[in-house]
Amino acid sequence: MDVIPSFRHSVIPSFRHFVTSSFPYSVTCGLMQHYRNFCIIAHIDHGKSTLADRLLERTGRVTAREMTMNQILDDNPLEQERGITIKLHAIQMDYLSPSGEKYKLNLIDTPGHVDFSYEVSRSLSACEGALLVVDATQGVEAQTISNLFMALEQGLEIIPVINKIDLPSAVTTIDNVKKQVMDLIGCKEEEMILASAKAGIGIDEILEAVVARIPPPKGDPKAPLRALIYDSIFDAYRGVVVNVRVFDGTLKEKDKILFMNTNQTYELDEVGVLYMQRQRTGILEAGNVGYFTAAIRRLQDSKVGDTVTLANNPTDRPIEGFREVKPMVFSGIYPAESDDFEDLREALGKLTLNDSAISFEPESSTALGFGFRCGFLGLLHMEIVQERLEREFNQVIITTVPNVRYKVITTKNEVMWVDNPAQLPNPTMINEIQEPYIRAQIIAPSEYVGTIMKLCMERRGTMLGQTYLSADRVDMTFNMPLGEVVFDFYDKLKSSTRGYASLDYEYSDYERGELVLMDILLNGEPVDALSSIVHRQKAHEWGKKLCVKLKELIPRQMFEVAIQASIGSKVVARESISAIRKNVIAKCYGGDISRKRKLLEKQKEGKKRMKQVGRVEIPQEAFHAVLSLD
Amino acid sequence: MFGLYLHIPFCEKKCSYCDFYSLESTEHIDAFVNTLLTEIDLRSPVMPSGACPAEGRVEAHTSVFFGGGTPSLLSPEAMSRIITRLHERYTIAPDAEWTMECNPGTVTPERLAAYRTAGINRLSFGVQSFTASELTFLDRIHDADEAVAAMTMAREAGFDNVNMDLMFAVPGQTMETLSYNLSRMLQLAPDHISAYSLIYEHGTPLFARLKKGLITPTSEDIDAAMYALVITTLTDAGYEQYEVSNFARPGKQCKHNLTYWHGENYIALGPSAHGFIDTTRYWNHRSLTAWTTKVNAGELPEANRETLTNEELCTEYLFLTLRADGTPIAEFEQRFGVDLRSALQPDLGHWIDAGFVIDNGTTLRLTGEGYRVCDEITVKSIQFVDRVPSSLRSSG
Ligand SMILES: Nc1nc2c(ncn2[C@@H]2O[C@H](COP(=O)(O)OP(=O)(O)OP(=O)(O)O)[C@@H](O)[C@H]2O)c(=O)[nH]1
Ligand code: SF4
Ligand SMILES: [Mg+2]
Repeated sequence: MDVIPSFRHSVIPSFRHFVTSSFPYSVTCGLMQHYRNFCIIAHIDHGKSTLADRLLERTGRVTAREMTMNQILDDNPLEQERGITIKLHAIQMDYLSPSGEKYKLNLIDTPGHVDFSYEVSRSLSACEGALLVVDATQGVEAQTISNLFMALEQGLEIIPVINKIDLPSAVTTIDNVKKQVMDLIGCKEEEMILASAKAGIGIDEILEAVVARIPPPKGDPKAPLRALIYDSIFDAYRGVVVNVRVFDGTLKEKDKILFMNTNQTYELDEVGVLYMQRQRTGILEAGNVGYFTAAIRRLQDSKVGDTVTLANNPTDRPIEGFREVKPMVFSGIYPAESDDFEDLREALGKLTLNDSAISFEPESSTALGFGFRCGFLGLLHMEIVQERLEREFNQVIITTVPNVRYKVITTKNEVMWVDNPAQLPNPTMINEIQEPYIRAQIIAPSEYVGTIMKLCMERRGTMLGQTYLSADRVDMTFNMPLGEVVFDFYDKLKSSTRGYASLDYEYSDYERGELVLMDILLNGEPVDALSSIVHRQKAHEWGKKLCVKLKELIPRQMFEVAIQASIGSKVVARESISAIRKNVIAKCYGGDISRKRKLLEKQKEGKKRMKQVGRVEIPQEAFHAVLSLD
Repeated sequence: MFGLYLHIPFCEKKCSYCDFYSLESTEHIDAFVNTLLTEIDLRSPVMPSGACPAEGRVEAHTSVFFGGGTPSLLSPEAMSRIITRLHERYTIAPDAEWTMECNPGTVTPERLAAYRTAGINRLSFGVQSFTASELTFLDRIHDADEAVAAMTMAREAGFDNVNMDLMFAVPGQTMETLSYNLSRMLQLAPDHISAYSLIYEHGTPLFARLKKGLITPTSEDIDAAMYALVITTLTDAGYEQYEVSNFARPGKQCKHNLTYWHGENYIALGPSAHGFIDTTRYWNHRSLTAWTTKVNAGELPEANRETLTNEELCTEYLFLTLRADGTPIAEFEQRFGVDLRSALQPDLGHWIDAGFVIDNGTTLRLTGEGYRVCDEITVKSIQFVDRVPSSLRSSG
């Protein structure tokens, strides 16, 4: 059986080819011989960050005593709480090989979740090699493949690591997994390293493979400076901290640098490498990975993907940057109290300093007042941004139902981009509405093929191809509207395959859809923040579900509340919330007044968080009701 | 208006729903009376103690209220001593209202006549129900006949201002028994009726039974229907509703309670009593021992006091007047510098349209329907308080 995924050939003609030819630099000076730059890539949860822990320990970068928590590089509290990596983390280690040679290893741990795949692609561009970690019990999954391909496209040397061999169930799965990996990357059995990041098995072997198999960086320390910005972080005290990979030349403190893309010049303040904390070295030579600061106050000046060179001796060969990441999912973020609009703007501004993948623009809603339409890479990204706004910036926010960005062709043949359903033009002015489609790759045990096909079809997907990775493991590709995947597709996929299916997707194109605007009316008044764009055939069912959910979320009020879902003037679903029959405390004498006032004030605070449309008070949760539909 | 409240913390038997401070043992009642006389002195504006919150106040008290507990456990002699002392220490208006709460099970014609002679001119009977099973449920010590008898005695003793308490939404109560209770009460023609929906107060035996699932509380729908029945029956019978739970024949509103609800001042004496002067609220120790020890040491027996901010005063004034006989617009503006009509828009418009509120030109007042959802309206109404610039406000 042909177990090689069919589309792989179209993406990368030959994997071996890249390894030998992608770095067109001829020079490898003495120092560089002892550098190795690599990242760890894998499907989500296959153990990248845990493996990083062991490498840091083994090389002495972090002592066992300092290893106070698992996945120590996941230094954002949200990462620790959720047990996932959100941001790439770079760190340098000193490694003394049994051969007696001393190496400097620059390691970058990457996220596995599909929303953050741009973090992976940036990390790859700073490296010559990658550890491809595969869970011995899960095998090859969707992001294993997509991240591998990204690494191959960059021409990286791949070291396959089969992780979690300590798990008892690995005994039965490991042979199959080994075979999957060999088939996938075309490697030999002995090239795979069997490891347990948890139990510390195979760590020495991995370190040796890194120095033996990953090529040292190439570059000319004497040539004009060429450094690639692969990440930048805003630090309140030093301004932007720019993380770079130096390809040619040398970065030194006091140098005047030029950002080639933005054409901004700065004088370097501090240059160094990344340990657990930043380690100032004053200099960073070709082949190395590190950081600099230059009192940069605006993150836009130091764009990720830009080339840094010297102002007075610029290179004429800027490094090819990254495709700009485009937000895929949009939602309104509003201050719970309208007075806090400016605060929210400031918080969003600061947050984007550290996360340039977020976009935000002011908008207004009759229901919610002034707020922002924000763009995210996906739903997890959206959740994380919202949580960071609340936790790190103390914002009390109301968020609306997320949606994709629609392309509207008007009757005058003009193109309009609509990322807020309420802004959809009048139907008489619309020629057609197009929506973004994705190419979804789903890998699962073959017994679930039927279930998955059904699920994807329900979501208006069409199958593009199906390949068996092994006798009982299938790789399916679908063309699907992103709008159908955004909500709970992933959860549905997981639950209907007992957790065995994995999903990866990439944006493909805009396609015309039978889409209509569905409004929600409360007591006859449309609530703009609850409008959504839905497929005509699904409008009825969708409207019904939404009305039922809103009935559940909106508390009873002094008046009866009629909930209607409508398309144009046609009501497609309705529900009603009966009025409160009685709410009054019977007694209030001298001794009760103080207590009663406090009670009322507390209730008032609760009510403050509600938004009023006409006579109806709407709790915040109602604005993203759709997210909890089933 | 200026009130004076005295708390008499003794009851023959605790009722299951009651969270007022009272003791079942009357062992210390004589000592209590002596201590109360001392507190009367302590808080008196004419005494040198200087601790009276109303020091220097020349205004006469317009009402005196003996609450509890069960003030009718005090002997007429004890009552007389207290009243005499009050006259010595405070300026009390000649037409002041003197109310005393009575348990229908603890009165006799002689005692009532003696109270009347001592100066009490208004009685309040805790009748609650005329249905035996309901009275048992509530742990009341009297029966329906005793309630009837008490009323006859009161009239014979010369009381022309008598209140009766009625309770509804009692588990087991039906629309029929409530209707029966109402008609029995109306036959007795009290001047004033307080009709309460049963509240499950924290810390009461009734609350504990509810938590254990031993009681099925009346549903909201039935509670609402019962309340509506109470309101229509009593208004049809010529009583005017002037507060969520209070109904009176013309001219018979309880002056003392209006003092609370109009944000006026009142001095309070006795354990657990709450007083309010200008912007300060104080509350006495809720323990006979603690209260006695303090007073006998010559100190004010206060557990604590709070001084209200303008916002809090505004909130209280609004919610108290709304749940009573309405918020006077001019007075509100004078007290807080706020035009209430515009402050409450657009909600006020909705409420008037829906028949919850009436704007009679001078006052915003709840209708019977409005009282039913009074707390909803109140919570919404007090929201504007946060938006009013404090410079505009003055303390009332
Ligand atoms: N038994 C066992 N568990 C492991 C091993 N390596 C990692 N784990 C567990 O697998 C889970 C995921 O580990 P992480 O290191 O956070 O995985 P990751 O690949 O960094 O995950 P993302 O960054 O979210 O993509 C954790 O619960 C680890 O404890 C291993 O070798 N054996
Ligand atoms: S008689 Fe009145 S104060 Fe005493 S326990 Fe009963 S309800 Fe409470
Ligand atoms: Mg991780």
